[in-house]
Amino acid sequence: MAETAAKGVVHSVASKQGTQREYESVTILRPATSKPEIQTLIERMQGMFTDFGARLIKIDSWGTRILAFPVRRERKGIYLYWRYLGGSDIVAEFERLMGLSDKVIRFYTVKIDDDVDPEARPSEVTEELLEAASDPGPDPEELARQAAEEAARRAAEEAANRRDDDYGYDDDDDDDDEES
Amino acid sequence: MSTDDTRSGRGEGGAGSRRKRFAIAQDKNLVLDYKNPQLLKNFLTDRGKIVPARISGLSARQQRQLTKAIKRARMLALLPYTSS
Repeated sequence: MAETAAKGVVHSVASKQGTQREYESVTILRPATSKPEIQTLIERMQGMFTDFGARLIKIDSWGTRILAFPVRRERKGIYLYWRYLGGSDIVAEFERLMGLSDKVIRFYTVKIDDDVDPEARPSEVTEELLEAASDPGPDPEELARQAAEEAARRAAEEAANRRDDDYGYDDDDDDDDEES
Repeated sequence: MSTDDTRSGRGEGGAGSRRKRFAIAQDKNLVLDYKNPQLLKNFLTDRGKIVPARISGLSARQQRQLTKAIKRARMLALLPYTSS
């Protein structure tokens, strides 16, 4: 049997004919990965999807996050979320390419659904979405530092206000006493 | 049986319902997904262990979903395996 004909097909007796499976993958990229590098990665994967008769239906960037523990000596990572329809062979190929890329430090794939009619599921991928997905986003440590500075400033202001309030509160107390 | 009635544990929580519940666990349609680590964090101890259903008050089905979701989130470094 010709190998090209078998691509994009679910090889399972239990599955209905002509359906595909829906998978989602999360990949973690090195925090130093630049936007054009992410774009080339996405382009390469899209080329692979078309080769395998599969289709990317959603891609989303979760931005740069601090990892709960170091992965391949990195403390931070850029999270990319992929959702796609494909045959039995798609995950193996997806993970093979992810393993080859030196930008990817971890990947994980979950099967969402069997027997999805590929015609019924339109692709949500647009130029804008691809543009947004390739954005590594702001550094969480930088954001945390800014938030901490902001909080400290607000706390200082509040403390100053409270000092003013304290006088006011005392006045109120006195008033109450007089009324009662 | 009269012996049951005199048992010391009986009087504390009333008939049957002595299970403590996390406030979040009250929601019947709680979706426990590995992509929502902020929610899952509520079901971890300080050391990063999964809280037993006995404490969290989740149903058996929800607890199975929870452990699966937490273990998936750990693989993606969204949640810690352990933290001191």
